[in-house]
Amino acid sequence: MKTLLGKTLRGRLTILYGVLLAAALAMYAAGSALYFLHDLTKQLDASLDRDVETVEGILSFSSDGRILLSTHEGEAGGDESNRGYLLEVWSPEGQLLYRSAQLAGLSLGPLRQFQQGHGRQKPQSYRLPDGERVRLTSRLHHMQGREVVVRLAVSEEPLWDEFWDMVSVLGLGLPVIVILIGITGYVVAGRAIKPVNDMAQRASRISAEHLSERLQTPNPDDELGRLGAAFNQTLARLESSFEQLRRFTADASHELRTPLTAIRSVGEVALQSPGNAAIYRDAIGSMLEEVDRLTRLVESLLTISRADAGHIQLQKSSIDLLDLAQESAALLDVLAEEKNQTIAVTGDAAVTVSADRLILRQALINLIDNAVKYSPPGGRIRVHVHVTDGNAVVEVLDSGPGIPSEHAEKVFERFYRIDKARSRAEGGAGLGLSIVQWAVSAHGGTVELKQDTESGCAFVIHLPLEPSDRRLQKKEG
Amino acid sequence: MQILVVEDEPKVGNALREGLESEGYEVSLAQSGEEGFFHATTHALDLIILDVMLPGRDGIEVLQTLRKQGMKTPVLLLTAKDAIEDRVLGLDAGADDYLVKPFAFAELSARIRALLRRNKTETEAGLTVGRLEVDPVRRTVLREGQRIELTAREFELLEYLARNHGRIVSREMLARDVWKETARATPLDNVIDVHIARLRRKVDDPFETKLLQTVRGVGFILGEEPQ
Repeated sequence: MKTLLGKTLRGRLTILYGVLLAAALAMYAAGSALYFLHDLTKQLDASLDRDVETVEGILSFSSDGRILLSTHEGEAGGDESNRGYLLEVWSPEGQLLYRSAQLAGLSLGPLRQFQQGHGRQKPQSYRLPDGERVRLTSRLHHMQGREVVVRLAVSEEPLWDEFWDMVSVLGLGLPVIVILIGITGYVVAGRAIKPVNDMAQRASRISAEHLSERLQTPNPDDELGRLGAAFNQTLARLESSFEQLRRFTADASHELRTPLTAIRSVGEVALQSPGNAAIYRDAIGSMLEEVDRLTRLVESLLTISRADAGHIQLQKSSIDLLDLAQESAALLDVLAEEKNQTIAVTGDAAVTVSADRLILRQALINLIDNAVKYSPPGGRIRVHVHVTDGNAVVEVLDSGPGIPSEHAEKVFERFYRIDKARSRAEGGAGLGLSIVQWAVSAHGGTVELKQDTESGCAFVIHLPLEPSDRRLQKKEG
Repeated sequence: MQILVVEDEPKVGNALREGLESEGYEVSLAQSGEEGFFHATTHALDLIILDVMLPGRDGIEVLQTLRKQGMKTPVLLLTAKDAIEDRVLGLDAGADDYLVKPFAFAELSARIRALLRRNKTETEAGLTVGRLEVDPVRRTVLREGQRIELTAREFELLEYLARNHGRIVSREMLARDVWKETARATPLDNVIDVHIARLRRKVDDPFETKLLQTVRGVGFILGEEPQ
């Protein structure tokens, strides 16, 4: 039972509450009992004081020097009339003058010295030789010109009886209260934790197949509501990355299947009827072209997956962006020439970034190649390098038809193509821009598509300037 | 020339043997690391083509053992892994060159030639293909006695094709050796194609015999006889 209780939060809470409550109650009970005892003792002492005064009033010396205790005014009575006082009268020299019969010969203990200037001693507890507990007080008393010590005691037994009665009431009641509150606490904790249990059950039902389900959060502002909301956000991110992965896998297998299908059908058709060497050569060549496509697709996928896994290490060096842009444009210049296009590279010299030259170059080549592809014959492609807001900026502007706004958001997605038929004919698989995006963000930069140019569209790369370049930038500003 | 091919995939192994035999090499084929190791230690070889992923003992292990025994035969590794660290691992183990699957046969053939002639110094002589003369020193091109003007890039391209005349040259080879690009990308292939087309216009179009052929799906070949 104990281990079972200890296992659940509910059980642990209950045990913790019970222990704390028992400790608090025990302290409270002990305090009350002690206060009660103190109070009773005070009352007893007060009545003892009164009794002493009464006794002093009825004490007298007889003519033969013995102590007499009178019960009524002027009447000298015997021992029967002493009203059960436990009384001793001593001479200051320590001689016992009188001992009441009630004491039955028992001593009230040795006489204590009075402090200088004090005629009385504080009441104290004393145990008679027969075991009875008494409260004892002593006073100096002047009587008929002589000084005597009056010692009076009252039994403490009724006081202790009362005290123990109270202690036992408290002692019996306390466990009952603790148990009752423990049970209540267990029930209340169960109530409070029930939403957590419900959440746990619901969460465990949400598997990869049901990522669209969400936890219910009746009160979004309390602790559980916030937990649920946080969990739901995680689920949403998980769902979107699962969705992305699913789409990526579907797209990748589609892209892989297309060349495979081509290889297969070209091979099968070529073998179906006997042909001449030229036909076979053509078929084999066509198959090899598809193999080439497959190879490159697999290479791109490998690059992307390695980039995703963070396995590509950047070999950074200081790079002049204008230089790199000119170099990239020069490589592709011949493609533009074929279409009577011009590529103009303009901008500020000595804009330097710290980057992996090959990777950044690949990004620029992909962008310029796209610009050449989508600009009409005779069109103009501009590459502009400058510094804005402390960032190095490279803009690649084409003079093409622009990108319809419904595609603008998605152009950087893997395998995303605006015009599938057209792009495939040109050998792309829709990975070019996602490689650009990866390359730029690996360098801590961003790439965005801007549509607001009068004709065509602009891809704008922002990269952090190399630290040593910031001085240059300040001078300009 | 004796070449040992260690490759466990029979299709690839046989294709390599046939391809290399057609280029005039004598080829033996081993299908496991053990078999390859045994063959390499018992035969005089000019070159070993070694697959990395082999059953039993992998190619790297075989290579390390062979190098420890003092074998100096050039070794070309074949592998499906192309991460940089894998290349480094292979070259550290004592490989002379490294080729990632899938590769173009033309490329393998070119690398084999390079390995086999590594220690032989080449004489810079004029290159002649049919009636086409390419002079690498003066950087001039003559066809049937007529001077042909080429851009620098076009000349490098033609020179490379002429050095490998009669053999297929793939786009990968051109990208790496003429354009000095380490990564092959689609835009670059288009660039190569445009340059080939321009070269063809200047070198072949005015003449009856066409020297620069495209081998579909493989690459280009410079030679008198179309293959």
